[in-house]
Amino acid sequence: MLSLLQRLTSPPSQTLTTLQPTPSTISFTVSTRPVPKTLLALFTYYLSILVRILAGTLALITLWAKWRASSGKHTVLLSMFLGRVAEAWIVKLVETLPWRYLAPVALTVIWRVGRRGYTEESLLIIRSLGLQTSTSSSTYLTTSSTRFIPTTSIQDIFIHEAFKGFEVRFYLSIVVKGEGDVVVVFPSLLPRREILEEVWRGARAGLWEVGGSGGARGKT
Amino acid sequence: MPYNIAMISDNFFPQPGGVESHMYQLSSKLIDRGHKVIIITHAYSGRTGVRYLTNGLKVYHVPFFVIYRETTFPTVFSFFPIFRNIVIREQIEIVHGHASLSSLCHEAILHARTMGLRTVFTDHSLFGFADAASILTNKLLKFTLSDVDHVICVSHTCKENTVLRASLDPLMVSVIPNAVVAENFRPLSHTSSHSSHHRDAPGPPPRLGPHDTITIVVISRLFYNKGTDLLIAALPRILACNPNVRFIIAGTGPKAIDLEQMIERNVLQDRVTLLGPVRHEEVRDVMVRGHIYLHPSLTEAFGTVIVEAASCGLYVVCTRVGGIPEVLPRHMTEFAKPEEDDIVAATGRAIAALRAGKVRTELFHNQVKQMYSWTDVAQRTERVYDGISGVLSHDEFYQGAGAGGGWSATRGRAGVQSFALIERLKRYYGCGIWAGKLFCLCVIVDYLLFVCLEIFAPRSRIDLARNWPKKDFKDAKDKEVDGTKEGPVIGRKRSARHRREKREDSS
Repeated sequence: MLSLLQRLTSPPSQTLTTLQPTPSTISFTVSTRPVPKTLLALFTYYLSILVRILAGTLALITLWAKWRASSGKHTVLLSMFLGRVAEAWIVKLVETLPWRYLAPVALTVIWRVGRRGYTEESLLIIRSLGLQTSTSSSTYLTTSSTRFIPTTSIQDIFIHEAFKGFEVRFYLSIVVKGEGDVVVVFPSLLPRREILEEVWRGARAGLWEVGGSGGARGKT
Repeated sequence: MPYNIAMISDNFFPQPGGVESHMYQLSSKLIDRGHKVIIITHAYSGRTGVRYLTNGLKVYHVPFFVIYRETTFPTVFSFFPIFRNIVIREQIEIVHGHASLSSLCHEAILHARTMGLRTVFTDHSLFGFADAASILTNKLLKFTLSDVDHVICVSHTCKENTVLRASLDPLMVSVIPNAVVAENFRPLSHTSSHSSHHRDAPGPPPRLGPHDTITIVVISRLFYNKGTDLLIAALPRILACNPNVRFIIAGTGPKAIDLEQMIERNVLQDRVTLLGPVRHEEVRDVMVRGHIYLHPSLTEAFGTVIVEAASCGLYVVCTRVGGIPEVLPRHMTEFAKPEEDDIVAATGRAIAALRAGKVRTELFHNQVKQMYSWTDVAQRTERVYDGISGVLSHDEFYQGAGAGGGWSATRGRAGVQSFALIERLKRYYGCGIWAGKLFCLCVIVDYLLFVCLEIFAPRSRIDLARNWPKKDFKDAKDKEVDGTKEGPVIGRKRSARHRREKREDSS
């Protein structure tokens, strides 16, 4: 019972992926996306993508058909793709449904389908050029927000703690020359200390070839 | 055995004051002895979040709503989640609260007991019993101290007061005085503590002639309880009786206007200098300008300032109230009753004694240095920690009192052993007819909250903080071990030797 409650209330688990395509480039990605491991999970994952695409298309078609039908225009496009029978059937169905039910339902479906459902934040470091932080957007339709900081304006990168809600959280932050506030890396996920320390070491090694595995340690 | 200790109070830097510097000095000396200490206080404007002070002392400025004179609003339970988070991430074993007016400290002690931690409370002030505010404060104090492992008071008077206010067993109250950093309060002639000790000791005291000016220093916040009214009444009479006397008054407060009016009414501008507020670092520079320190306070638990004044080589005139008579030996002070006539008389005696050369003020500094040191305070506090966490046996800690197995006064009242909810409820129930039930209710709610937090914010989800990298304390450890085997008296002697050794090391 207790463990069930704990599992239900726990935040999604985070995974760290490190990519180093060339020796001077390294990217750290923290994500809450569940990684499908078994065959069944993989199958469910692809099935859900298919269902999302189908549901989204259906909602769009319904909205379009309703608009064409209510404004008295022809719906030849439908018959071209789906055939005459389907067209007639859809138009009849759409005409029985009033706008005040159809519109909210279709919009909800589109909103639900377009939502990403997970957060992904990354730190990309290119030596002698700079680093870029990015946070994925909440929907598939908008782009992620990124910020590039050139090496020359990076003064320091460190791990510190701060109050957030009812707890104290660790955060990795970058001091940028000429700015009053620090830039927080992974601002919405705020990963745990082990992940942050790994990223911190990697970032220092990537930026200035210092830190590495031994010697320097985090000021936590 | 090193402990992880959390010091908790509403009062901490950047606000100046006695509790603040007490917490800071004690913490840094405990860190020197190998413990891990953090301080939890509320956020001040410009001081928020997590900060580090000298020596790796970590300060959590918890964001909270401040109501009156830097005291947070008493929301009994809202502090618990964040407090629990800090305690878990820092692996705290002992929670040490300071100052009886700090609601943060009381809440922390209650929550700490719910979480099964050892708690210590240090009382820094005296309170009355008569007015409504005191009655309320005393009731709340009784609530918190019903279930605390040990209480520390800064003087014997303070102990008596606290024992009465919170109806405690006197056995579970220790007296550990404040201390001063003697190096920061050197007299003017004092160049180096080593050479001057041997050179000045047999030397003749500098005589003050009958026509030399004697300067009297007063440094206090100008509040009613600091005796500013007494000062205002006595000052013109002292100046009238004694020619060639000057006053320097530093500090500010609500009574500053009365003081200024008195000076203007009596036309004393050329004989009284008002400095306004001074920072703690500047106190010594003001003190060394005078010969006598006048302390007309009406209530005082310890009075660190008179120790500082004596350390600067000033002869001290003070009222015989609160814990003041315990603080300094007879030959450094001239006592007065807290009334106008007696203060005038005592100041006159002090001036006469100085003019006659009867007082060896140049020796005061070294004597104070022998008496008060923070290292010693830290050692004695550490013994309290040992006692409550069971390193010292019960009999050894309480020096044989309450021995004889089975029931003992300390165990019955404070129940240092048991964290069980029902045992705790029994202790709270005795607080009063209505208050007892109310307090029990609070404790039960607190416990339920704790259970909820364990479910919804489990320990596994809280990251442990890394400790500040420590220096090697191997030989300090050895000393500590034989220090604790001997009694507190021997421990004090040892601390003096220890300090000397340290000084030789550093030079």
